[in-house]
Amino acid sequence: MEERQYDLIFICRPDTPEADVDKVIATLEHAAVEKGGKIEKTEKWGRKRMAYRVAKLREGFFVYLVVRSSHGEVVKELERRLKVAEPVIKYLTVRLDEELKRQEKLKRHRDRRAARRPRKTAPVPPQPSSPAPSGEQSAATS
Amino acid sequence: MADENAPQHPAPPSAPTTSGTPGGSSSPSGAHSSGMSGGPGGPRPQGGGGRPGGPAKRGKRNFVRKKKVCRFCVDKVDYIDYKKAEILSPFIQDRGKILPRRMTGTCARHQRWLTVAIKRAQNIALLPFAAEL
Repeated sequence: MEERQYDLIFICRPDTPEADVDKVIATLEHAAVEKGGKIEKTEKWGRKRMAYRVAKLREGFFVYLVVRSSHGEVVKELERRLKVAEPVIKYLTVRLDEELKRQEKLKRHRDRRAARRPRKTAPVPPQPSSPAPSGEQSAATS
Repeated sequence: MADENAPQHPAPPSAPTTSGTPGGSSSPSGAHSSGMSGGPGGPRPQGGGGRPGGPAKRGKRNFVRKKKVCRFCVDKVDYIDYKKAEILSPFIQDRGKILPRRMTGTCARHQRWLTVAIKRAQNIALLPFAAEL
């Protein structure tokens, strides 16, 4: 199975000391490695206002991780750990590799079209995204 | 007005004597004012001329609707990031509803991506499901 990429965001209670947050991240990293996955990126967004109340709290400490793994066991384990972790009040895992693949494909397609466009007289663009002439030129030059 | 009408239409007898010649010299202005005197006949040829050019102008309702363009197409967005709530927030109502395409002008493909992104953002409390109280 090819490798999959996930976004993992979790929210801690706003009053948890940052050391505890780091501890949670460390356990997750450890668990991911143990199951054969990898945490590629860790971003602490810090205290943010949540759009609605979660666990009677209006604020939360957001942490964002990018996880790579080749089988679902990793995500399962990470979510289990998040569920039992004391300071975590909410988490979300999103599988992203297919969307990133699509994004890359579209970008390649667009670049190719931008590259060959100057020679041809502009036909009706096959994509619904009708590129502006100014943007096209800049894309061709870059 | 009346003096310029004079060459084309039989106007009140006082007008042609005073300024019949200037009306005749400036023929385009005379034609224009004749349309004004003719009531509905005046705007019609103009509307007929404008019809192939601008279909937005039609009939008595003379407003031009601004063409809405998909914001994501303009920026050539290939992926709408659910993590950027500030990008998504213009596409939801104050109460948290997702705005329809007909309001925002988003194209079908980007609206599809947008709804997914908004729903993900809602799940991680970046956007509201519904306004609170």
